[in-house]
Amino acid sequence: MRKYTISFVVGSAALCVMAWLIMTLVKYPEIKYLPFYTFSTVFRIVITLVISVVWGVSFGVLAATNRVASLILTPFIDLLQSIPILGYFPLVIGFLFALGPLGVELSVILLLFTSMAWAIFFGVLGAIRGIPTNVVESARSFGLTGWRYIRHVVLPAIAPAVAAGANLAWCDGWFFMIAAEYIQFQGSIVTPPSGGLGYLLAKAAYYYKDIILSSVLLLFITFIVLFFNTLTWHRLMERANTGTFKPILKIDLSGIGKLGVAKISSWPPFGRLHWPKSFSIASQRLRKYSHIERILAVALAFSAIFFVFYMVVGKLPTFGMIFEEFNKPPAGELGALPVLIALTIGRLAIAYGISLVVAIGLGVLATGHKKAAAVIYPLYDIGQGVPILALFPVIFLGLNQVLSSRMALELTCIIMLVLDMIWYMFLNILSGIKNIPTEIKEVGQLFGLKGLKRITHMVIPSILPSIVTGSILSWGTGWNTIIFAEYMPSTEPTIPPLSVPGLGSLLDKAGYEYGNTVLLVFILGIIAAIVLSMEGLVWRPLLRKFEKYHIEV
Amino acid sequence: MSVLEVENLTKTFVAEKSKILVLDNVSFSVGNDEFVCLVGPSGCGKSTLLRIMAGLEKADSGMILFHGQPIVQPTPKIAMIFQLFGLLPWKTALENVEVPLEVLGTEKEKRIRIAQEYLKMVGLEGFEDTYPHDLSGGMKQRVGIARALALKPEVLLMDEPFSSLDELTAKTLRELVLKIWVDPNLPTNTFMMVSHNVEEAVFMADRVIVMSPRPGKVVGEVKIGIPRPRLEHSRSPLYFELVDEVLELLEKSKRAQ
Repeated sequence: MRKYTISFVVGSAALCVMAWLIMTLVKYPEIKYLPFYTFSTVFRIVITLVISVVWGVSFGVLAATNRVASLILTPFIDLLQSIPILGYFPLVIGFLFALGPLGVELSVILLLFTSMAWAIFFGVLGAIRGIPTNVVESARSFGLTGWRYIRHVVLPAIAPAVAAGANLAWCDGWFFMIAAEYIQFQGSIVTPPSGGLGYLLAKAAYYYKDIILSSVLLLFITFIVLFFNTLTWHRLMERANTGTFKPILKIDLSGIGKLGVAKISSWPPFGRLHWPKSFSIASQRLRKYSHIERILAVALAFSAIFFVFYMVVGKLPTFGMIFEEFNKPPAGELGALPVLIALTIGRLAIAYGISLVVAIGLGVLATGHKKAAAVIYPLYDIGQGVPILALFPVIFLGLNQVLSSRMALELTCIIMLVLDMIWYMFLNILSGIKNIPTEIKEVGQLFGLKGLKRITHMVIPSILPSIVTGSILSWGTGWNTIIFAEYMPSTEPTIPPLSVPGLGSLLDKAGYEYGNTVLLVFILGIIAAIVLSMEGLVWRPLLRKFEKYHIEV
Repeated sequence: MSVLEVENLTKTFVAEKSKILVLDNVSFSVGNDEFVCLVGPSGCGKSTLLRIMAGLEKADSGMILFHGQPIVQPTPKIAMIFQLFGLLPWKTALENVEVPLEVLGTEKEKRIRIAQEYLKMVGLEGFEDTYPHDLSGGMKQRVGIARALALKPEVLLMDEPFSSLDELTAKTLRELVLKIWVDPNLPTNTFMMVSHNVEEAVFMADRVIVMSPRPGKVVGEVKIGIPRPRLEHSRSPLYFELVDEVLELLEKSKRAQ
């Protein structure tokens, strides 16, 4: 408790000093609002987090305990979570126009919600489905039903998932904060009246083009994220992890006679963060649907799109109206669609390749050498904390000093993607290596498997399933990020925004510049089709192939 | 003459900043052609002892001599089979048997021939290309046995090899192991098994060494003078007397705590 107080006081003091330094040393007029902006961003994310938790828990419990609800909700929410933040713009614009300043504030919260809520929902769903049958049966045999069943079995079981999901949502909130607080729409910038750190950073980078101020603000934001992380989530995670079903499993695995094993398995500090999600969601998502559910999801998606149209246009669109939209800009670029798709996939593939190689290297190093681990784990903790989207303008400004703006954007795009994708790969590979059972390791030792033979016969095969789950997640997040990474908003209407040709930038043009909802939905449809076919043609067969590699203990 | 010599072995583990003594000054020896079984309550350090014997772990003090030489690292002369089989899930039955041979530098054709031969010996002909995932528990342990024997070791260590199998399968495999032990064509003739199943130990071993609860000490040993093949004598009065004798030693060591 004392340590907690000290870190709280020291952290707050450091925060105040940083804010004061920035305010006294920087000359732009907006900077005097820094404390207020900080407060409004934190407040905004906290509010959205509370809404997300309430929504995620109630809907998660509902979907996991009620068959009918599960049949409708799960596929629908899965569909919603795969729509990038930009896809919600038509909805938000409806708000903006209708409600004035309050509407803008609400739409920012709505946008944040669309990127924060899903992790909690799926975490809760997975945790409830993961309650061991013997626990469920014994609870039933004692007559626990209805609310009492939820209170004594379900809620304790989901506590760690809620904590982990909320942490993830928190990080996602900071990630998307800059996109939500700085909305560009048909040549004008829409920002929330109460401002925010994301707005300030965007202004510093895009308007003033001040790399020093941008970097300082980025540091400031990262510090806040890390500060809150150590203050709340780490503690929460430790507390939530006790008294659940997981530790019981852990004791079973390590046994009394193998104290050495127990020690090693509890060694690195990151087990409590993030990875329950990354691991469970991907494999769950790939397995859980029947055909009926898929059809249902598609039907629901269509009605949702219909609903969005209705909100934007104010009346049900006719086919003629839809076709008309296809003739408006940026429809002219549709001719080059195959090239744009190839370019975007190319960027993703390059970033994926880099992430894969680096993540494997880091994973092997971190599990093999204690000294390397001492460097890599803190690096991971910090790397997770940096809101990557906020990094975007800073990297671009930095590269733009030496490269032409086109090249700088191209490079920034790939760096962003790597920074985004690599953690999912790293985390999954790490858990793959760490989950090699002791007996298998002993077999390798016994037969003298060393060096390259050890890597080819044991390490690589054992992490193949994790590489696949990591790949699914990193491609997923990559598609989301590339929408922002191919496009650089500008502040003055006279200067056209900078972009590299690709599917992402086309989407941005349709959404930001022209407000062409039909094209926006059309391009989102193309992206969804690519993601789905990759899932079906590449990842699912691979996952099935590697399933039997899974080591039963 | 003794093949394995355990001399004043002591081992501690560090857990949560406190030291736990698991093996306390343990000494005994295992002779050539002998089948020795180590029994004791769970947590008494018998598996740890076996792992030190295999060269997988190091003792704090004392040592284990193999033909007079201290064991410091794994050697192909001492093979081991595991409670959970320890098969590589991404390799077929045949490839699993091949891996240790590959490490020894055996060429491809020869090691396939050897692997096939040993898989046939344990009754897995026709399952060479099956992955562990699709094998039953008993079949997995058969692969484990084939893999251990393919190295032509002198000593076979077994860490509760039958405790994760159902009783019927365990019975069949016990007989298979005993058949391998008496087989004059195989160089593997010194067997050391860890078990917590007293009946199993008395059924199989020449000598049962009894260990106390943690910290593990040798509290006594029982010579099993039942004539072989044991199956014919497994319901004899002598069998039950010896089982009782081992159980009595275990009880006594528990009360002494």
